[in-house]
Amino acid sequence: MISLPAVDRSQGFRYMGLHSKPDAQMLRLADICEKRLLSAALPRYTYQVCPIEFTTQGVVCTGTALTLTGDDIAAHLHGCGRVILLCVTLSAAVDTAIRAAAAQDVLAGMMTDAFASALTEQLCDAAEQEILTHFPDEFPTWRFSPGYGDLPLALQGDFLRTLGAEKRLGVTLSAGGLCIPTKTVTAVIGLSGMPLPKGKKGCAVCRLQATCPYRAKGVHCK
Amino acid sequence: MNPLMDRQFLVLDGGMGTMLQAKGLQLGGVPELWNLERPAEIIEIHRAYVQAGADVVYTNTFGCNRLKMARTGHSVEQLIGAAVRNARSSGAPFVALDIGPIGQMLEPTGTLSFDEAYDIFREQIEAGNDADLIVFETMSDLLEVRAGVLAAKDFGGGKPIFVTMSFEENGRTFTGCSVSSMALTLEGLGVDAIGVNCSLGPEELVPIVEELCRWTTLPVIVKPNAGLPDPVTNSYHFTPEKFGSCMRTFAEMGAVIFGGCCGTTPAHIRAVRDMLRTQTRTERHPVIPAAVCSANQTVIIDQPRIIGERINPTGKKRFKQALIEHDIDYILGQAIQQIEAGADILDVNVGLPDIDETEMMVSAVRAIQSITDTPLQLDTTDARALEAGLRIYNGKPIVNSVNGEEESMQKVLPLVKKYGAAVVGLTLDKNGIPKTAEGRFAIAERILQRALSLGIRREDVFIDCLTLTASAEQAGVMETLKAVSRVKNELGLRTVLGVSNISFGLPSRELVTRNFLTMALYAGLDLPIINPNTESMTAAVRTYKLLANIDKNAVDFIAHYGAEVTPAPAKPTASGMTLGAAISAGLKSEAAALTKSMLNEIEPMVIVNEHLIPALDAAGAEFEKGKIFLPQLISAASAAQGAFEEIKTFLSEHSTESVNRGTIVLATVKGDIHDIGKNIVKILLENYGYQVIDLGKDVPYEDVVTATERYHAPLVGLSALMTTTLPSMEGTIRLLRERCPWCQTVVGGAVLTPDYAEKIGADYYAKDAKETVDIAKRVFQN
Repeated sequence: MISLPAVDRSQGFRYMGLHSKPDAQMLRLADICEKRLLSAALPRYTYQVCPIEFTTQGVVCTGTALTLTGDDIAAHLHGCGRVILLCVTLSAAVDTAIRAAAAQDVLAGMMTDAFASALTEQLCDAAEQEILTHFPDEFPTWRFSPGYGDLPLALQGDFLRTLGAEKRLGVTLSAGGLCIPTKTVTAVIGLSGMPLPKGKKGCAVCRLQATCPYRAKGVHCK
Repeated sequence: MNPLMDRQFLVLDGGMGTMLQAKGLQLGGVPELWNLERPAEIIEIHRAYVQAGADVVYTNTFGCNRLKMARTGHSVEQLIGAAVRNARSSGAPFVALDIGPIGQMLEPTGTLSFDEAYDIFREQIEAGNDADLIVFETMSDLLEVRAGVLAAKDFGGGKPIFVTMSFEENGRTFTGCSVSSMALTLEGLGVDAIGVNCSLGPEELVPIVEELCRWTTLPVIVKPNAGLPDPVTNSYHFTPEKFGSCMRTFAEMGAVIFGGCCGTTPAHIRAVRDMLRTQTRTERHPVIPAAVCSANQTVIIDQPRIIGERINPTGKKRFKQALIEHDIDYILGQAIQQIEAGADILDVNVGLPDIDETEMMVSAVRAIQSITDTPLQLDTTDARALEAGLRIYNGKPIVNSVNGEEESMQKVLPLVKKYGAAVVGLTLDKNGIPKTAEGRFAIAERILQRALSLGIRREDVFIDCLTLTASAEQAGVMETLKAVSRVKNELGLRTVLGVSNISFGLPSRELVTRNFLTMALYAGLDLPIINPNTESMTAAVRTYKLLANIDKNAVDFIAHYGAEVTPAPAKPTASGMTLGAAISAGLKSEAAALTKSMLNEIEPMVIVNEHLIPALDAAGAEFEKGKIFLPQLISAASAAQGAFEEIKTFLSEHSTESVNRGTIVLATVKGDIHDIGKNIVKILLENYGYQVIDLGKDVPYEDVVTATERYHAPLVGLSALMTTTLPSMEGTIRLLRERCPWCQTVVGGAVLTPDYAEKIGADYYAKDAKETVDIAKRVFQN
């Protein structure tokens, strides 16, 4: 449903910690990893739009079993009347491709993994763009995912169930609470009838801000 | 015959979840709770379907397993018991126990074990004992289906078993399972009907059902959604009339069991029932070819297919060493190399007197299937190892082998039947290998008859007429080929031969083997078991396919040999490059080649200590200074690994000595499935000569302790990427402290900090792989 013809390599190289210009050998490997990744990936997404209600328990997604808890998401959705609940995945074949690459060569495994993360971000962007065409008169917030700020990762189960993500995308949750396939992202996008003020973004709400290696170097992960 | 299977057509019910949502079930709510809390409404839905003409209603138990129901406070037994009673109350002619996916993915992509999946299904099946049949629906993972079907066979009291999987428009499930793989595997396992449900509407399912009808002799089930969901509202729009008329297409194709999934209502089922009144059953007579498969890849044996023979310790010291050290990565390396060289199927033989073959067979099959779709041939004489391998194999494998001895047939063939495999029959018996083609043909016939009497398909019996060495039994060569030809033409069976044996004891072995291979192919050999890494062997098969007009227009041949000049493999040794330079430049094959030639003159440990390690130290120092980054460090490590592999091979062949500067247990902790970081640490440690016991990812506390005890490892490295799995790290360390007080721990991973490492009781925190090596040097004082 969405076609992603190429990996954003600069992002991918960054994810794998390559902060210098890739040499010819690295570029050759990149060609191989990218080709295999793209042939394995089956980018998909699903979403659900629902009205929200701000309560003392959290932001209730009306008509669903999901309540978004924590101060950060409430602040993030301030001024919004409804939300888009989004889930994207590159599919289980990508996990296999990463394992296969790693079995052959550690560097190839690392690169395929980093490229897949970059591709997942690209999928999020593309899905968001496609979805927002259905809501031309509304103003969206940026994507906020469980695990950002104090929006608990433990919400993933309710989140996936609400979206029917298992049936629609084949996305499940492991016993340890991780999305499987691993290259899966869930996110909330607020929709407002009025233009929204620019909210805190990225590092300001990130739980890793104290230890982030990117911040230490004065750059950002995204 | 079960009265259920006796009907011309069988009509199933329609959607349950979407009907419940229409009655007020929240998105993300638990439909199964309604069995207890709102039974009248459940019965009303069932009854509406019965009144619309459904023969079978599915219990409202799609997600009713112990994992999904844990948060409801009710037991599976309670909920399923109520659900079956509700379905019965509707007056339905037949009640199906409905079982959907577990909701957690099985290993290797997920963390759920096959045995746990089997046990989850067992619990559901036992709780639904009062149903008339068992249905698995909306399945995506073939391995999970296999766990369910095996549990249903073992605990279902002989009830009919239906399986429907959900396919996407590309003809595959979410996990990549193909229609042919589903059909081959499930018909082999002996289910009663198979088909498709959910995910797509009737129109999109046409090509998928068409394909399925070609691949199975079983009754075919079609249970689609009411069209595709609206992208914005997620609702379904097919009217009952349109649904009914689309379903006629499937009846005409030969499907005989019909129902509806998401968005369908009693009106849709009534339309299907009405449609069937004017429809007669289309008889199908599909010819299913000889084929084997993994979940994602089917290999049809309609032309010569190469079985790679390299995963086998016979005569290979390095392989034996890998088995003893449980070095799965080495086996994976052998798998990948053969696939790249052209193997269509891989033989897996991991038998060695000193190891637990059953455990090793399971580990090897699981590991190989986690990285490749190439089907496998399980090669063992140990029935226990064979059954364990068959049980967890995802797809339809080949069993290698049975022979004409009564004992062998009694032991092996029932397993082949139970797990739906294909089997290699060796033409020998208690009197040995018959000298003549007639003798071998007679044994082949005997094996075939026994297999057929057990219900194994003729197409699933492959015969090996056995290659004898030309040097010892020159006259026997043509007898083998004669036997191949007769088995192929008179019995109509596929043939297998391990060809390498032909040249044993002769000079120019490759020349002899290659020519024999071509002769055997011409005599009717379908499955040559060869070393595909020997280019001339693979080339002989490709050339044969060209000449025999199998490779039409020489497409495959030209793809492999069409380049005008075949580039000669690089010979870096002449270029004057040093091993250190090759490592620092990340040139793996060059590093390996240089090491190989250095081993002619220099002691292996001298190469390690004076060349390999200094080169890595240099790369490590550059990394620490920020002159190079992690990828370049890994690149150097990867090249060093190429050199190291040469040293290991040399040592295993020339001495009992091995490189071991100390043993370190490594694991990604329980609940965490990210192992790239851990693998980077592993490769670096190995390069420095440490023996790494890699336990993989999502490792239970107990397994870390067991391995640490077994190897009396002085150092344990634990990795975690997620904040949610840090408690597992703490738990593992606590148990290690209790049971392995001698060992020290080093921890690392994206979310760890030195403070946190200290808080959870770790001895060391390593910020990266390089630092882990420094810590290991300190711990082992080397």
